[in-house]
Amino acid sequence: MVASSLRSFIKDVRGAKTLADERSIITKQSAKIRTKLRDDHLSNEKKRVNIQKLLYLYILGEKTHFGQVESINLIASDNFVDKRLGYLATILLLDESQDLLTLLTNMLNNDLQHPNKYIVALALNTLGCLSSTELARDLYPDVENILQTSNDPYLLRKALQCNAKLIFKDRSLLEIFPLSIISSKLLANPIVCTHGVLLGVCKVLQAIFISLDDTLQKGSDKNDNEEDDSIEEDIQEDITIIKSISDLIPQLSTRLSSLNSKNLEPAYDVQGIQDPFLQCELIVTLKWFFKIGNHLNLDEITQYNNNFNDLLTQLATNTSSAKNPGNAILYEVTKSIFELKLTQPLRVLGINILANFLTPSKNSNTGNNVKYVGLNTLIKVVPEEPASVQRYRKFISQCLYDYDISIKFRALGLTFAIMNEQNITELTTELMKFLGQISKSHYSYVTSYIDMDDSKDLIVYTVDNLLKKFELYSNDDEKAKLDSLLTILKMSGTFIDLEKANDFLVALNNMDDLNYKINTFSKELTEILDPKNKANTLCGNACLDLVMIWCIGEYTDLIKLHSSTNKNIVNDNSIVKYLSDLNNKYRLSHDTRMIHYILTAALKLSSKIIDGQSMEKLRQIIVSHSKDSNLMLQTKSVQYELFFNQPAAMKKIFLQAMPKFERKNINVSAAQSHNTTGSKPENQNNDLLLDLLTDTVEKTSPNDTSKPFENKQHDIIADLLASTGNKSQNSSSTIKSSPVEVVTLPSGAVSIHDGDELQVYEKIIDISPGLAHLELYIKAKNNKISNIQPLCAVPKTQKLTLSQLRPSNDIDVGKVVRQTLKISGSGKLKLRIKLSFQKDDNQASESEQFDYKLDKTI
Amino acid sequence: MSHIKYLLLVSRQGKARLMQWYTPFTPKQKTKIINDLTPLILARKPKMCNILEYSDHKVVYRRYASLYFICGITNDQDNELLTLEIIHRFVETMDTYFGNVCELDIIFHFDKAYDILNELIMCDGSMAESSKKEILNNVHAMDAIVSNDHLDRVLS
Repeated sequence: MVASSLRSFIKDVRGAKTLADERSIITKQSAKIRTKLRDDHLSNEKKRVNIQKLLYLYILGEKTHFGQVESINLIASDNFVDKRLGYLATILLLDESQDLLTLLTNMLNNDLQHPNKYIVALALNTLGCLSSTELARDLYPDVENILQTSNDPYLLRKALQCNAKLIFKDRSLLEIFPLSIISSKLLANPIVCTHGVLLGVCKVLQAIFISLDDTLQKGSDKNDNEEDDSIEEDIQEDITIIKSISDLIPQLSTRLSSLNSKNLEPAYDVQGIQDPFLQCELIVTLKWFFKIGNHLNLDEITQYNNNFNDLLTQLATNTSSAKNPGNAILYEVTKSIFELKLTQPLRVLGINILANFLTPSKNSNTGNNVKYVGLNTLIKVVPEEPASVQRYRKFISQCLYDYDISIKFRALGLTFAIMNEQNITELTTELMKFLGQISKSHYSYVTSYIDMDDSKDLIVYTVDNLLKKFELYSNDDEKAKLDSLLTILKMSGTFIDLEKANDFLVALNNMDDLNYKINTFSKELTEILDPKNKANTLCGNACLDLVMIWCIGEYTDLIKLHSSTNKNIVNDNSIVKYLSDLNNKYRLSHDTRMIHYILTAALKLSSKIIDGQSMEKLRQIIVSHSKDSNLMLQTKSVQYELFFNQPAAMKKIFLQAMPKFERKNINVSAAQSHNTTGSKPENQNNDLLLDLLTDTVEKTSPNDTSKPFENKQHDIIADLLASTGNKSQNSSSTIKSSPVEVVTLPSGAVSIHDGDELQVYEKIIDISPGLAHLELYIKAKNNKISNIQPLCAVPKTQKLTLSQLRPSNDIDVGKVVRQTLKISGSGKLKLRIKLSFQKDDNQASESEQFDYKLDKTI
Repeated sequence: MSHIKYLLLVSRQGKARLMQWYTPFTPKQKTKIINDLTPLILARKPKMCNILEYSDHKVVYRRYASLYFICGITNDQDNELLTLEIIHRFVETMDTYFGNVCELDIIFHFDKAYDILNELIMCDGSMAESSKKEILNNVHAMDAIVSNDHLDRVLS
């Protein structure tokens, strides 16, 4: 029979033991349905069964397109049961984009005039779900007819919903929609005006506003356009429409207000709140009125502004926040407040509501969701009302300890959003507590409820932002800052990336209070070197190790002299031993960054200690990498060894502590002195330094180095820091150091392009089979050129590598920049070059393009 | 405001039990959404909040016994809390209709579940009728027509 057949199919699918079984049942059934549906003589009853099975296939996510036409045919039947299933199948299996929809037009047209209201309702629902623009136009009169003539709330409701969708689809219908019907027929008659009808009215109004908003957007987008007239007309029409419905505002407001204050009908009660669905829709509809009205500055609407503010206040104070439905309404109220940018007292009220969301609620099931929306909205509105949000710091901090990771993240984001100079100390303490808790829970697997990755993300995010904030408010209490940095490092060093440690080093290096810094480091070092705390050297906190290595290299001399240092624990011997231990520990790991730091620290330390035995140990550390498989390390080791053997006095000058590190323009001062021309010939030592300086192939131009010692000292340090970090930082520091390097046009350069603003020369450095090395020199002719960006293309058989522009992307009048090109591959050398740039700091960018052919082949 | 993009019912085993799309998606997108969301939501712990972000929109879900009700909503526009209430309304209505609804009811009578859904949520994904009684009256009235027709046919 009918039901049992579908039933047995479902049972079979559910009973399948394996996925393959299930697959085979489904494919068989699918093929069977396909053939059955093709049979024209099938009785309607059988057809229904097959369509029902097809719908089950649809739910399983199978292909169902072959049943689309048959579903539509089912609608044509006179039986209600056929129609009902036919409409359901049509809604599910078809969508708005299909051509098949035209088949529906006639059937819908007939059914919309059917005496049975349920058939009309089904047709309306289907039209709403599947309204292509053609369907919308063809069938709109029928829908309007129902609105005009029917007095059944059920039909009116369906017709309104459908109408809202039609207006949304085709804006031109707006002009013929009988707006007066809303107030004269629907709202005026209490029998007709049920909650469902009101919801429908809200939907129609919202559809009107959304399409008006679109026109307004278009109007503001195309301000200077010629075709403005039609849009201008549209806007005028819009204004008339809005004016004609503006008298709905007081009516809807009264409805909302009475809905909110009375609670009479049990059918609409949701946990003690009267119909929150309708209340929210009314709020949104009214919000749209004021959004559009204020935008166009229409007196008809703005006159109600104060009433609306009062209404929102009433809703905010009267609605109970104990349960979720109440909170949904309160949330909608705050959204309106901030979207309409209402007055300050209301905004404060909104913030208070949201902050209330953050307090732990008795109902733990929904409490989390309320917290989520509260935090989410607060993050958005912080810029508008920072002071009010500030007051709820405590609530926000509590959310840090919530169970849910997404809430934790939002609470963190909000904490950083409200952080400023006044509260940074307080909030930092709070965050440190949080960090401590979360890194602890990371270790205790039994109690840990959050994912390892999640807590790592949280820690990284927190540390990242804290460092940024520390930098932003750098004139804060330095002692507290140093302590915080060290505590953070100890707590979370195992989670954060070694790269982040560079930020720590910069922050530590830039602190002015040398005495306190040395004091702290001395204490740290004592703790680590104390033979009683053997475990310390073995802990996995790589970042902490790194910072200690660095500080040994930098400050050992000062630490040794400091009064608080315990000479029995911290001395040449123990420090070198510590360094050597770390060297052994990290030489096996794949991360070479640590070794770079250790090598540099060893070299630096050699100028700070006297003990002969320790000296030898240091040498051993450096030499131990002279056969390293990593080329960078090997080079460094060999070079350092050479340097290690230099006389102590010379070393001392080079290996002084780091100067202050400026973020934006790393070692500009070094580069500046680097640049002064001199005549002193380079000695061997100098060459060595240059090699150290430039890890890459680049040779420094001959015109530098007059005071090699002083310059080089800066450079080395900058380089140590950069090259020990990683490659990318290395290159970035070189780029940053270059702005003052001067490039001059070399002899032998050929002019290959002479444009309005730029003249380009080319010089061949080296051509060998398969590889060419060229240099382009770009000269600014009349104006200062900035942000120059060269784009080059070569034939397909070749590959091009472009280097960074030297010295910078900006050229002063008459000055030259250099662009190095490396071409590999085969074939004739041909170039197409496009240079885009800005003239005189003018924002508009210009470009020059040219082709150039060399008589060379690689 | 509530403007649901889609409603999915997924069982604890990750099988789809019902789906309704209110915004046009291509079949490919639909499969992707289902395949992405199912493991994501099944993995969530009971104490976590019922809202998550997925691609360009938000997803609100609620678990009832072995079934997850999942709704996609528009960012910044829709009311997450209200969406939870809509889901709850749907469950309540089915509960009254089937009399203590369970997953099997929805599996074997998915057409009835769709009928209720179509009365509750309108074509563009927003609430159509907030009275449970009204919805049930209409569904029952339609069921009555079907059984009358059936009776007529049997008698004739």
